[in-house]
Amino acid sequence: MNWQAIEWGAMLPELIVLGTSLLLILLDLFLRKTVSRRPLGFLALLGVAGAFSALVLQLHEPSIQLFHDMYRVDGFSKTFKMLLLIGTFLVLCLAYDAKLGREENVRGEFYYLILTALVGAMFMASSADMITLFIGLELLSVSSYIMAGLKKHDAQSTEAAFKYVVSGGIATAITLFGMSYLFGLSGETNLYSMAKALQETALPDQSYMLVFAFFITFTGLAFKIASVPFHMWAPDVYEGAMVPVTAFLSVVSKTAGFIFIIRFFVLVFMMSKGVNSDSLLQQVQPYIIWLSGITMLVGSIIALRQSNVKRLFAYSSIAQAGFILAAFSVFTPALFETMWFYLFAYVLMNIGAFAVIQEVTTRNNDTGMTSFEGLGKQSPWLALAMTIFLLSLAGIPATVGFIGKFGILIALLGYGGLHYVLAGILIAATLLSYVYYFNLIVQMYFRTGEVKEKRRSQKGLLIVTIVCAAATVIFGIVPNIALHFFYEQFSISTFLQL
Amino acid sequence: MVHYAFMIPLFPLLSFLLHLLFRKRVRSIAPILGCICTLVPLVLSVGVLIARFQGTTYTKEIEWLSLGKTAITMGVVITPLNAMMLVIVSLVSFLVHVYSKEYMKDSERLGTYYSYLGLFTFAMLGLVMSVNVVQLYIFWELVGVGSFLLIGFHYTSLAARAAAKKAFIMTRIGDVGLLIGIILLYWKTGSFSFAAIFQSVASGGISQEMITVTALLIFVGAIGKSGQLPLHTWLPDAMEGPTPVSALIHAATMVAAGVYLVAIMYPLFLASSVAMTTVAVIGGITAIFAASIGLVQDDLKRVLAYSTVSQLGYMMLALGSGGYDAGVFHLMTHAFFKALLFLAAGSVIHAVHTQNIREMGGLWNKLKFTGPLFVVGALSLSGFPLFAGFFSKDAIFAAVYHDGRYVLFFIALLTAFLTSLYMFRLVFLVFFGPAAEKIYRENSIILLAPMVVLGILAVVAGYIGSSWFGAPLQRFLHDGTTSLPLEAHGPVWLPYVAILISLAGIGVAYVRYGRRKDFHHENTSSSPVTMLLKNKYYVDEVYGVIFVKGAAFIGTIFVFVERYIIEGMVGTLASTVQWLAKCGSAFQNGQVQRYGAVAITGLALMLLLFIVLTGGYLQ
Repeated sequence: MNWQAIEWGAMLPELIVLGTSLLLILLDLFLRKTVSRRPLGFLALLGVAGAFSALVLQLHEPSIQLFHDMYRVDGFSKTFKMLLLIGTFLVLCLAYDAKLGREENVRGEFYYLILTALVGAMFMASSADMITLFIGLELLSVSSYIMAGLKKHDAQSTEAAFKYVVSGGIATAITLFGMSYLFGLSGETNLYSMAKALQETALPDQSYMLVFAFFITFTGLAFKIASVPFHMWAPDVYEGAMVPVTAFLSVVSKTAGFIFIIRFFVLVFMMSKGVNSDSLLQQVQPYIIWLSGITMLVGSIIALRQSNVKRLFAYSSIAQAGFILAAFSVFTPALFETMWFYLFAYVLMNIGAFAVIQEVTTRNNDTGMTSFEGLGKQSPWLALAMTIFLLSLAGIPATVGFIGKFGILIALLGYGGLHYVLAGILIAATLLSYVYYFNLIVQMYFRTGEVKEKRRSQKGLLIVTIVCAAATVIFGIVPNIALHFFYEQFSISTFLQL
Repeated sequence: MVHYAFMIPLFPLLSFLLHLLFRKRVRSIAPILGCICTLVPLVLSVGVLIARFQGTTYTKEIEWLSLGKTAITMGVVITPLNAMMLVIVSLVSFLVHVYSKEYMKDSERLGTYYSYLGLFTFAMLGLVMSVNVVQLYIFWELVGVGSFLLIGFHYTSLAARAAAKKAFIMTRIGDVGLLIGIILLYWKTGSFSFAAIFQSVASGGISQEMITVTALLIFVGAIGKSGQLPLHTWLPDAMEGPTPVSALIHAATMVAAGVYLVAIMYPLFLASSVAMTTVAVIGGITAIFAASIGLVQDDLKRVLAYSTVSQLGYMMLALGSGGYDAGVFHLMTHAFFKALLFLAAGSVIHAVHTQNIREMGGLWNKLKFTGPLFVVGALSLSGFPLFAGFFSKDAIFAAVYHDGRYVLFFIALLTAFLTSLYMFRLVFLVFFGPAAEKIYRENSIILLAPMVVLGILAVVAGYIGSSWFGAPLQRFLHDGTTSLPLEAHGPVWLPYVAILISLAGIGVAYVRYGRRKDFHHENTSSSPVTMLLKNKYYVDEVYGVIFVKGAAFIGTIFVFVERYIIEGMVGTLASTVQWLAKCGSAFQNGQVQRYGAVAITGLALMLLLFIVLTGGYLQ
């Protein structure tokens, strides 16, 4: 391999993040224990910002492939990496303000683990090969396991990490098992060659195996996006982990999971033959629809009974995964834009909500819903921001969440058939979500809580809430800015082309 | 003037933002700021109305959102219907802003209150000017948010919180129908814009079944917002909000939005006789149902709330019977006299500090202005001759009669009787009869002035739709369009019957409630000279009892229907969901082995299902 021939510039964003994380590891290792690790957070933020700028510079360059077509920098990877970088930047701001208490010594570790997880997620976005996809997935997962258990003196955090590792192990095993079927059937690891191979040699018996492979890998990946049937870990882990970690898991990690799902399933299964049908993906479509519907309902119904705000958001994020899966169940070009836009909306509104949750729960040292009582009076701006995020999550117009949901509904109702049922379920789940989101709003405005001491202003938190709230409203009013960007960057032909 | 139409909703939005940002600092000038920010739109709206009167329909739109091939615009359209609505909304909103200055002056959160009012007015004006159904839907939902905030304004009260949530979620159920309806319409007609949809409907570009389905789905949205059966229960509860808010939202604007929705989508409804019948029947049933419940309520505002539900039912009945002009006409007159009644009720409540009509009485001499104004509103609502309500109700009767559904026609007449009965029950109980000993002072001019304006309109607004003057309103509404049905003319005897019914209701109310004092007196003095009189009175009393008790009996039955059947069904659904939630939470037992097992079982089930469904290896 000629090292000079490789266009390293195409990987610049990943390299910057990776380099920053290595730098942080070294600094954390060699700096004296007494030195505060807080400034390292700045470095991490700088790294992510640098990667983001590098990505922006790449936007107008043509798509290329590296390392024997294992690694692809195309419109799909660039647009979705953008979401990952924005999400991680915001999470890092939250992490900067996180109160670690006894665990203050792990702060440095915390920062670089977020970065390594991000590198894994970005790898997934650019992978065109099962091996790199899997490596990216594991890099993301392993970093996340540690992050979940970062507070090692806190029993709940440790328990969360343990459950996360065990569930994650099962998920990885299942995913790998499914992938091995695919490798066995096609003899390839590259997604594009695999798609070609599977298309050409379609023996009837193979189709069954292929469908099996689909179900198995799908179940494994359901873990990453926290959808049925692999969703049950989420409430426990979300509750136990620190708020920035929860935000990371529910947003960045979930986005990465969806990136994997889109790239992998659309490429490999769209063209391959199913049993008695032309496209395998068409054949399993009803299953995706039902899984999406059940995911929405499970998330929304159980959320009704939650009194812990982090658990509530865990179930809400399960329901949100169901919404995004609904967008995935529509096999038209609209799939990409609706999923991208919904994830974009989700990054903004969910991280914003977690920012407020972090502030409120630290202030009260309590993660119950009641900690939001009287927030409207004590911190009107914080309450206003939270209201915007909740309205957006509920899909009320003039917020970005509405546009996202509206796009999904349009796509569903344009497809017809079973999708009408799914649209009905989506609506029902949305109605249920009004109940639990508005419960929080009622807590904030319509109840008076005891007056708590205000903490000194939190810079990271301030940035996150302002940026997220403003973006939630702005992109709700002029959504075309984001959509135009996506159309400009993404084209389905470069996505499908070998 | 029309070119400035886009600025109309911006001022209330500005009011919302300013009050929100400086709600602590501007407390003293909050009402004035609010009033100015609604006075400007009022002036502009009147200008736009005049401009539309002289000109043609004005449309201005810009592309807002492109989802794949779907391009959605935002903009402003000025048709006769929405030019009229603009004036109604901005006028009532302005008057309510003025009224609130006095009514809410003791509120600690005056700035917040005005900011909510601004948000609501902005959303409502935006809704009215919408150029396509998506824009309409967006503002439709924002109106719901504004209403949620205003109903729950007295958040310390448990009832207000519950009412706000109920209003929001119940109207949302309707909105869902609307949303699905408009998206389906889009897929079947290829456009969100009103004109293109109607074009497609007219040219047969959409199947008959689809027209019916989408029209009904859109009507579900109207049912939720306009408090029609069975989604009406939120409206009486919403009376927990401040009274001026009730005048604004629950009389003139938001609840009328459902009627307005049916009116602007009218060509779609006209194309489906099933949809038209549904609208008429739901409207008719709601009208009589709510009117009879209004008869047995003791809370001043709740009576008015049920009355609103009933009158909205009237409008739906008119629209469903092909009486487009009649429905819109009644929408306008109702906005004025019902807002008047609410504001007058607010004035009464402000003076006596109770809402229970059993604790009131004899206020006529004490509230020298409020009393007559309330009576003007009541007369207008009862369809008393020469008042606004008389003309619009008459138009509705004519439309329903012309349509030939005689059962609905009979229901409409019966409802008219009940309406004047419950209204004058209020009048006699509140303003006449034995007075409490306390001294009440008439409210200040700031409370009275808006009522006077509405009082004048509640009298004169009827004439613009009256055929005596060549029905200018109807001609205006038909300007530039040919797709709307022409106004129906009822038989000559109809106005006389209407008058008779209206007077009968008032008369029965007088007999039953208006002579409470006399009744006491006569009972104590059993002089034989008055025997004859007494007997005569007794006959009257019997009639009174038959009518009133009979109607009240129906009312009580309907109260039961509402409480146990409608609310019961909702309750059952809610408890089922809660039960499911409980099971779901219990299943989440914290054991990680269960989580893994669920995943594997889920996978196995999927594989099994697939094999069973496709045959597979089992063959």
